[in-house]
Amino acid sequence: MLFAQRPIRLRAILGTALALAATAAEAVPSYARQTGQSCVACHVSFPELTPYGRWFKLSGYTIGVRQAIPLAGMALAGVTRTKNNDDGTGTNTPVTARNGLPAFNQASVFLAGKATDNIGAFIQYTFAESYSTDGTSVGHSGIDNTDLRWVGRLGNENSDVVKLLYGLTIHNNPTVQDVWNSTPAFGFPFTTSPTAVRPTAGTQLEGALAQQVAGIGGYGFYDRTWYGELTAYRTADGLFSVLRHGQDIGTPGGVARLKGYNPYVRVAYNKEWDAHSMMLGAFGLRVNRYLDNTNPDSGSDRYTDAGIDAQYQYISNPHTFTAQARYIRERQNFRSSFAQGLTSNPNDTLNSTNVKATYYYERQYGATISRFSSSGSADALLYPSGVVSGSGNGSPGSRGYVLELDYLPLQNVRLMLQYTTYSQFNGGGMGYDGVTGRSPRDNNNLFFNLWVAY
Amino acid sequence: MNQRMIGRRMRDLGRGAVAALAVAALATSMPLRAQEGSTVTDQAAQKVAGAICSSCHGALGVSTSPLFPNLAGQQELYLAAQLKAFKAKTRGEADAHDYMWGMATLLDDSVIGGLAHYYSAQAPAHGTPGDAKLMARGKVLYEKGDVPHNVVACATCHGDSAEGTAIFPRLAGQHAAYVVRQLEVIQHKFRDSPIMHGVIKELAADDMKAVAQYVQSR
Repeated sequence: MLFAQRPIRLRAILGTALALAATAAEAVPSYARQTGQSCVACHVSFPELTPYGRWFKLSGYTIGVRQAIPLAGMALAGVTRTKNNDDGTGTNTPVTARNGLPAFNQASVFLAGKATDNIGAFIQYTFAESYSTDGTSVGHSGIDNTDLRWVGRLGNENSDVVKLLYGLTIHNNPTVQDVWNSTPAFGFPFTTSPTAVRPTAGTQLEGALAQQVAGIGGYGFYDRTWYGELTAYRTADGLFSVLRHGQDIGTPGGVARLKGYNPYVRVAYNKEWDAHSMMLGAFGLRVNRYLDNTNPDSGSDRYTDAGIDAQYQYISNPHTFTAQARYIRERQNFRSSFAQGLTSNPNDTLNSTNVKATYYYERQYGATISRFSSSGSADALLYPSGVVSGSGNGSPGSRGYVLELDYLPLQNVRLMLQYTTYSQFNGGGMGYDGVTGRSPRDNNNLFFNLWVAY
Repeated sequence: MNQRMIGRRMRDLGRGAVAALAVAALATSMPLRAQEGSTVTDQAAQKVAGAICSSCHGALGVSTSPLFPNLAGQQELYLAAQLKAFKAKTRGEADAHDYMWGMATLLDDSVIGGLAHYYSAQAPAHGTPGDAKLMARGKVLYEKGDVPHNVVACATCHGDSAEGTAIFPRLAGQHAAYVVRQLEVIQHKFRDSPIMHGVIKELAADDMKAVAQYVQSR
């Protein structure tokens, strides 16, 4: 049995998948109330940031007038239809819950705004509903993406124009602090189906540590051109435990537990001209992660993620065009897992590529096309076979497209139709899971979503 | 006396006297230089300019994106009048609502005066030439107007070099896309500007582009 063989890793993977599923678009009307500006000042389409939105975030969310209670809220509901919802075992078992039926996804409350001219916050608390194929569902609430900042400004000699914007950040999800939407935390797709099947493999930077770790970092943005950041990630326990509030910390595999402080570095070159802006960047993370979060003697594996990314934006009226791309290569040193017979290889690699392009007309009608692909070492113990979510050849590779249409009748209401199609899933084509004859395309899904923020 | 009242009076007067009367009326109703001599006010305004306005309007008032106008070298009275119109929400086009209404609520009258003074004193953006054919057509419109379509020469109020005067804004060096946008919203009366409503009522879309290219090049 798969679950008996790999209890910790599989649950970690499932936990990651759930965390990814719960990740959705964020935009914060309390910032709009604070600045008096509309959503479009900071967002191309939430959560994608304009140059001014990036400046606002790097300014520690401090522009504007402090609100007495800077609260905001949002809710998402939708319908997902998976192309083939029969798991192929001949037992009439559905793959996903509420296929073709409306489902409430999540509701969030934000405490987001400035405290002083130098201190501001983005704190999200989310209630999400998880649906089972037996028709039951269970609600769960906990802390979501969070970013607390202190910011300082240095002007040049002849004016008060800020030449260097610098600051400190404490947050709970690697890249949630980043201001370019080419990085994973606020990367496309901004909203995903809470029920659809997704590929198993993902790098540590792509949600595997979200709401489980504490990042303590410093950054500087010089002349609106050069950005540099250094952050250390640790387990969000002790003083930082609020940053993973709501996580299952008592169960092996329930959360990530890191050994000591783990470095993350980010550099970016940013250029703005006319209605255009572009960014070229690189980032890297090295984490030592315990095999069992409940047992510090369980040994740790080392993951080294190195990424490059780029973004281009043309923001005008009525036409807006934006594009992002990123590539992450993860080296997995299974020094403990391999010794304990949990992986087939002592070292694996995992590569992940995401590219997307978006057009908006009058910031109201949008269309996006996105290409995603992953590939990496075959490792039969790491990626075992299993109905629907397994891999027959032990490979992590998946490929496909996401096509999305958006309509915003109001700036804080979005209707979205998203189609995800796979040409490869968990390493294979027809019969990819190693158990049934399921094809990648059977996991194609159409997701309609309503997003409302206030 | 606000802009709208001034504008209503102006429509009752002969067009030739409009500019001179408007300047005279405003010169008596508004301080020529807000908070003149107030170092503290100027410093406060300069801080706001550096920390906030510059996010969109660029360091020293020369913006990068044509979504946001250049402010450097703009007429002081015009700047003050616009900031007050944003604050009072009487300038009502979508961009004003989306970007400026909230920002202007952060400002009191003395800071508005200080900002207007600060930006008017900055060196204006250099002209950026565009399409030669459009600029040639724009030059004709700017200097001579389009009599059959009741378009008065822009130079009448905005000056021979498009440097503006008093409440008539400087257009020289302004982003062409921004100028076109303003002509559109004024023509459709999303932005209230009584003088301009009459002047550009019949200005064609292509001519808006032409005149915008011309003033951007100045």
